[in-house]
Amino acid sequence: MSEAGTQGAEAAAASAPRPGTAPRPGPARRLGRALAPLLWLGPSIALIGLVVLWPVVEMVRTSLLRISSSGATLGSAGAGKYTDLFADEDFWPVVLRTLGWVAGVVVVTVLLSLALGQLLNARFPGRRVVRWAVIVPWAASVLMTSLIWRWMLDNDSGLVNRVLLDLGVLDEPVNWLAHPTQAMLWMMWVAVFVSLPFTSFVILAGLQTVPGEVYEAARVDGAGTLRTYFTITLPLLRPAVLIASIINIINVFNSFPIIWAMTGGGPGHATDTTTTFMYKLAFADQDVGMSAAMAVVNFALILVLVLLYLRASRWREETR
Amino acid sequence: MKRHLTGVIAAGLTVALGVSACGKGSSSSDGDGGGKTIKFVAAIYDDNTQGYWDQLIKDFEAKNPGYKVQLEMVDWTVMDGKVKTYVQTKQVPDVLNYNSFSDYARDGLIYKASEVVSPEVLGDFTPTFVEQAKYQGEQYALPFISSARLLFYNKDLFKKAGITDAPKTWDEVKADAQKIKGSGAIGYGLPLGPEEAQAEFYSWAMNNGGGWVDASGKWAINQQANVDTLNYLRDLTKSGLTQPNPETTDRKKVFNQFAQGRIGMAIGGPFTRAGFIDKVNKDLQYGIAPLPSKSGSEHNTLGVMDVLAAFKKDGGKNKEAVKKFLDFYYQKENTAKFLKLENFLPVTKSAGDALSADPYFKQFVDALPASKFAPTTNPAWTAVAGAVKQDLGSAVAGQEPKKVLDKIQQTAEKSG
Amino acid sequence: MRPRTIVLTGVGWLVALIFLMPYAQMLLTALKPEPELTRSPGGYVPQHWKFGNFVDVWSQSDIWQSIQVSLIVSAVATLVTLVCALPAAYYTARNRFRGRGAFLLLVLVTQMFAPTALVVGIFREMVALNLTDTLLALILVNSAFNLPFCVWILHGYFASIPRELEEAAFLDGAGRLGALTRVTLPISMPGVVTAVVYTFISAWNEYIVALTISSSPNRKPLTVAIPSFVTLYQEHWQFLFATSLIAIVPVVILFVFIERYLVGGLTAGSVK
Repeated sequence: MSEAGTQGAEAAAASAPRPGTAPRPGPARRLGRALAPLLWLGPSIALIGLVVLWPVVEMVRTSLLRISSSGATLGSAGAGKYTDLFADEDFWPVVLRTLGWVAGVVVVTVLLSLALGQLLNARFPGRRVVRWAVIVPWAASVLMTSLIWRWMLDNDSGLVNRVLLDLGVLDEPVNWLAHPTQAMLWMMWVAVFVSLPFTSFVILAGLQTVPGEVYEAARVDGAGTLRTYFTITLPLLRPAVLIASIINIINVFNSFPIIWAMTGGGPGHATDTTTTFMYKLAFADQDVGMSAAMAVVNFALILVLVLLYLRASRWREETR
Repeated sequence: MKRHLTGVIAAGLTVALGVSACGKGSSSSDGDGGGKTIKFVAAIYDDNTQGYWDQLIKDFEAKNPGYKVQLEMVDWTVMDGKVKTYVQTKQVPDVLNYNSFSDYARDGLIYKASEVVSPEVLGDFTPTFVEQAKYQGEQYALPFISSARLLFYNKDLFKKAGITDAPKTWDEVKADAQKIKGSGAIGYGLPLGPEEAQAEFYSWAMNNGGGWVDASGKWAINQQANVDTLNYLRDLTKSGLTQPNPETTDRKKVFNQFAQGRIGMAIGGPFTRAGFIDKVNKDLQYGIAPLPSKSGSEHNTLGVMDVLAAFKKDGGKNKEAVKKFLDFYYQKENTAKFLKLENFLPVTKSAGDALSADPYFKQFVDALPASKFAPTTNPAWTAVAGAVKQDLGSAVAGQEPKKVLDKIQQTAEKSG
Repeated sequence: MRPRTIVLTGVGWLVALIFLMPYAQMLLTALKPEPELTRSPGGYVPQHWKFGNFVDVWSQSDIWQSIQVSLIVSAVATLVTLVCALPAAYYTARNRFRGRGAFLLLVLVTQMFAPTALVVGIFREMVALNLTDTLLALILVNSAFNLPFCVWILHGYFASIPRELEEAAFLDGAGRLGALTRVTLPISMPGVVTAVVYTFISAWNEYIVALTISSSPNRKPLTVAIPSFVTLYQEHWQFLFATSLIAIVPVVILFVFIERYLVGGLTAGSVK
């Protein structure tokens, strides 16, 4: 925290006063200014430092240790846990699957949400009820939603098989969650399903900040609906889409309950993502060090992913 | 009782936050001084388990004024994670009800059995189980419950398919399964999902001369007999004689369908009757037979044992309270009541006779002496079991059995 | 104009149906007697409607206690998050200072950590702070991990509000704080509501940390209590879903009330 303080002080000392503000301040006021950021940011920094960074340090430390199955520290492992991890034959498939899972879920979620946001913003009878319905998966816990989907996809008594059998689409029940590809697709659907409410409401909120006059101007210019959407609405939605995408990338990447409740990452490691894989390394394979190494790698992956995304979407313009 | 300062502060803090239901401050600081309060983590076996412990603890506290037992009930599905976290963070309970102990013994975390129960209790354990409770020749764990596995078969389905006797050899199992399939049911219920794949697999492998370790006690998971066993199970699956997708099926599902009369054969335990069959169909006509073997000449039984382990804490201050509590539990009427309630087999001589009166249980009790156990005395077993649970099932789906077993063998050797 | 409305209505109601279907199935499952659950193929509706499942689950388990825990943890965590996030978001949106970029990066990086990955670390920390098995620990964890999102979304809203608007109020004699509370905050209400809802819901959903930290029955939130209906030896799906519904309904009602604010036309007029 002292670092933040000195940084703030340097900042205040270095930056020229903004045009339109009071004349050059005296030393006492300059000190007050230097401490001002700390006053406003302090609680956040304290909370993050205490509850997030502390365990992070612990995690990185753990990834460099050899820890016995009962938790006794047997000494340093150096980078050994990382080499073990990269050598594990399940590692690369799990990483690739995770990237596919994130890309698939986020892209579909954002596309559907753009449509859904538009729908929820349009005027039609019963719109309010539809908005309420769309909120429901958000209000229900992800775990509960995953469990009901698992139940509906049950091989013997599930609703999905029953409906498809009655419609004549299937001749015999399909054990959806037992086949890795089908299981993965269903779980991606559930992930989209639970991400849609939040994403579409962010986009809806974004739509509502678009001033009506802009559309009127476009209409006066004679622009068609589609052209208006792509030339006016979409660019104005950029901040909303940006925020929604980043949050979704991070959440989907770290998502645990969906896969845990529906397939447990099985059969074998065939539907694991890095998060469930990490959990299984610690609790099934009893290798806490390797699990911590996986956690570090997981974090590095998200970091790269988000930085790439920010770069592609020119984030700097948004925050400067 | 006067509250400690920390208690007051904690209580004040929580009240300030509007957390009315939180009274941790007082409860944790009360008993610590004298080592008279112990924490007991118990596994949930079924709906009755918590009630049993609540009552037992009430009785214990009434008879031993000043002593307190804090009970935490944990479901088996999250038990591994919980225990792991406790141990890693040095927050172990005083007494733990679990299925492994040897890594704790190796790392010096738990008491020897002789330190925490009276000689009478120690002498009452059945020798078979004492062997399973030892680490390097010394008994650490306290046998808690035991169980055995036998072959359950549906008599009506057998009759319908024209089968007269329970199968003894693997070939007969396959032939019978074929006939049952012909009459419209599932031949054999094979649960190789991550829940307890190691038990199902070992039940077959041990009857083919296979197992987890060789004669010298070294890991031998990829031995030929095991590969053959897995190939046999894979063949059953691929021939459509089992339920679909054994690799994702748990025992619950198999037993439930067996009870519904949709599965011809499945391997079950003493709990199968009360836990599954009676709930669905009390009138189900079923028989129980020894586990089939490859040759048909000898039939081994899978033995299962859960244990209690007492953790060292605060330089041994908890020893007296732990001993009082364990001696109380191991009184004959208390142990017998638990076994009866939960449908498990006894681990003590004194509770043994009570169960043998029921012919259903007698079959299991009789099978116990010849039973084989998973190598729980090996500290690496938890890691091996973890790998087996996750990966073994894939051998009847896409993977090559040999490759799957090779990988588990690697895990085993790595873990020591 | 007319056909457009008809199509929109049709699509809208179809969407509503898709979103509600799983929860309708939840209700139907919760009303089935246990033996009907494992029947193959499963029935669409219960043959015997067992409304008693709800009574059983309410009287025989501690779900009221779990609901209280979940409510307290989520509500207090939301409050803590807001108290920390509002000033930070406002300050970073309104001022340029060195360390600002670093702070925003810290926030973004923090957002990338999932409690799942850190659970052992978090548990070790709570042990060190003597906070295991307390609601305070759950509150702290939930507020800290949701703080980044709130800072981001609020930062975005504050930044989008023209400084002139605030300065006008300031010049009217409202004072810095007055301008903030009377002008900026009301305009950014959708952002605040979104932040509140988001935090509340992710605290409500949090599973792993609660599973590891809470051991006493009176400190277990719903997410930890609910899966215990499906254990190693038995599956009471009807109870699991009955409890889930009891837990979902109040939150849905809460959302129904908040929804007006969530997307209310608060921003539409005042920004321009």
